Amino acid sequence: MRLYEYEARELFGRFKIPIPEGQVVNSPEEAAKVARELGLPRVLKSQVLTGGRGKAGGIKIVETEPELAEVIPKLFDLEIKGFPVEKLLIDPKLDIAREFYLGVTIDRLNYKLVVIACAEGGVEIEETARTNPEKIMKVSLDVDEPLYSFDAIRIGKFLRLAGDQLKQFIPIATGLYNLFRKYDAKLVEINPLVLTADGKLIAADARMSVDDDAMFRHRDLTEMGIVQRHEEGEMTPRERQATEWGIPYLDLDGDIGMFPGGAGFGIMGNDFIHYYGGKPANFMDSGGGPSPERLAKMLVLLDENPNVKVIFGARFGGISRCDDFAKGVLIFLKEHGLSKPMVMRFTGNMWEEGLRIFKEAEQENPQLFARIEYHGIETPIEEISQRAVALAKKVK
Amino acid sequence: MAILVDKNSRVLVQGITGGAGSFHTKRMLAYGTNIVCGTSPGKGGQTVEGKPVYDSVEECVKEQGADTSVIFLPARFVKEAAIEAIRAGIKFVVVVPEHIPIHDMLLVRKEAMKYDVTVIGGNTAGIITPGEANLGIIPDIAFKPGRVGTVSRSGSLTYYVADTLTSSGYGETTCVGLGGDPVLGSTFDEILLKFEDDDATKAVVMVGEIGGVYEERAKDTIARMKTPVIVMIGGVFAPPGKRMGHAGAIVEGSMGTAESKLKVLEEAGAHRARTFLDMPRILEKLGV
Repeated sequence: MRLYEYEARELFGRFKIPIPEGQVVNSPEEAAKVARELGLPRVLKSQVLTGGRGKAGGIKIVETEPELAEVIPKLFDLEIKGFPVEKLLIDPKLDIAREFYLGVTIDRLNYKLVVIACAEGGVEIEETARTNPEKIMKVSLDVDEPLYSFDAIRIGKFLRLAGDQLKQFIPIATGLYNLFRKYDAKLVEINPLVLTADGKLIAADARMSVDDDAMFRHRDLTEMGIVQRHEEGEMTPRERQATEWGIPYLDLDGDIGMFPGGAGFGIMGNDFIHYYGGKPANFMDSGGGPSPERLAKMLVLLDENPNVKVIFGARFGGISRCDDFAKGVLIFLKEHGLSKPMVMRFTGNMWEEGLRIFKEAEQENPQLFARIEYHGIETPIEEISQRAVALAKKVK
Repeated sequence: MAILVDKNSRVLVQGITGGAGSFHTKRMLAYGTNIVCGTSPGKGGQTVEGKPVYDSVEECVKEQGADTSVIFLPARFVKEAAIEAIRAGIKFVVVVPEHIPIHDMLLVRKEAMKYDVTVIGGNTAGIITPGEANLGIIPDIAFKPGRVGTVSRSGSLTYYVADTLTSSGYGETTCVGLGGDPVLGSTFDEILLKFEDDDATKAVVMVGEIGGVYEERAKDTIARMKTPVIVMIGGVFAPPGKRMGHAGAIVEGSMGTAESKLKVLEEAGAHRARTFLDMPRILEKLGV
């Protein structure tokens, strides 16, 4: 989960990392008032949960009063990669002598924490890593190991810092690393770490992502208002609805509604549809052991999606059971009703029971099942995928 | 033969008195898994499904000779439970719960390496050696003893693959679920090496998916293996995923896409299956 810059900066401050004296504002009026009080020039930085805001025009240096009046409403009208700008950070304009990059992340390949430093900060850092890897320093550490001062000195020397500046750098590096460990972070990044003309090191930007799964032990973050959020991109109305219902869901641009079991087959099923010449309308994951009510909601999402022509259902019962799957479909059929054709298959845990529930309900009310084709273990999933593609082509 | 578990494994269930723990203990026992005991701090002396409950893993090892553990506990307790098992002398740990904090798994992995223990999960359906032992939450319907090993990140894909191998007559030696969490106790290459050393395993099916870096890590191992490897990667048509800032790109480069995974694995000599039904076709061609 990504933090806003101003939130990350507050945490930086708690770990004694020098930060600019900025102020967060929530409206154009407040922005103008605060900028005037603090005095120009100022840097106005859009607060959004995505990268690339500089390139998108989300950061503006304001030197004069007329510029201020012009820039503020523009920033508040901005939408960066789908995120509307609702807050600004009003920062002093720094007199920059040098810019560095300093970050900590997880190296999953080697199960280590890794501190990354580069003497050339800025947005081109990834390009530098590709073309001139020797300009990047990486220090790998175990998750329970501290970053010692001597490690920090080694990194500082690599950044060509000396004397008082090297001394300033040590607590910044160790503080950033300690912050990373303390809050179960996945990423902390200062880009750029600025050396000002008068010789002070200061974290001009603050980026941080924490592990959602560890939030239970970070009450203080919750109290700061840092709660579950999407990391990237704007949600479609259906994605928002699905999120409210706790269902992982993504809209895609095809016409076959995907109603799979777990995430694994959710991803693979989409490939299958493509292999057979179709296009999925969505990605979805039921999660482990979904309740019938949750399954019914998954179907509502698909049935109400105007792009969906056919629904493709597949359930390999593991921790989830096919009888629950069948019950979920029944709830949906009775309470909502199915307006499009659906082809589906049960196998795994309790698959025969799932089929029995369907057959019984069909005998009672054949009308409910008029649009459904269902199969058991005897029909390979590849055939079900082909059938869904064929049905979608038939529907105009 | 099999890898990691067989009928002689002496299995303990950590969290045996909980809802999921007791439910799956019953299922695992019904399959014939040699469960010898379980733990639940403060409930030592009780029994579940006729098996003794102890307060600690240490007692399970001492009293019952336990050597394998399956964890059914809430995610926040997994770190301590796994490290307890590792330090008590357990040699193989299966972490079923999902959403284990990443920093916790890094620590569990470090301990596991130190004590030469294999950990799979979190968020794994488990592991099954058909006809001998079933650890975790795997429905046994699709599995039959045979000659192909499988390793997958996803539970549902493990079932689909086994279903295909079983119905085409190949059967399975052992099926391993690595788990779906972002940081896992074991990697593909480590499990592949175990299959390579297993005489009964004539081929391995490896199923991966977009995201993460564990598939790419298998390339050198596959290149060295004599046992043929069939690989299937989900997400070839998935929309481009999220990236973890500059630092993520610097550390992981272009790894993580289905293309990157398939490219390096095919170059290493793996045979690509697009669908499940491709698998028996490839096995036949390989003369397995």
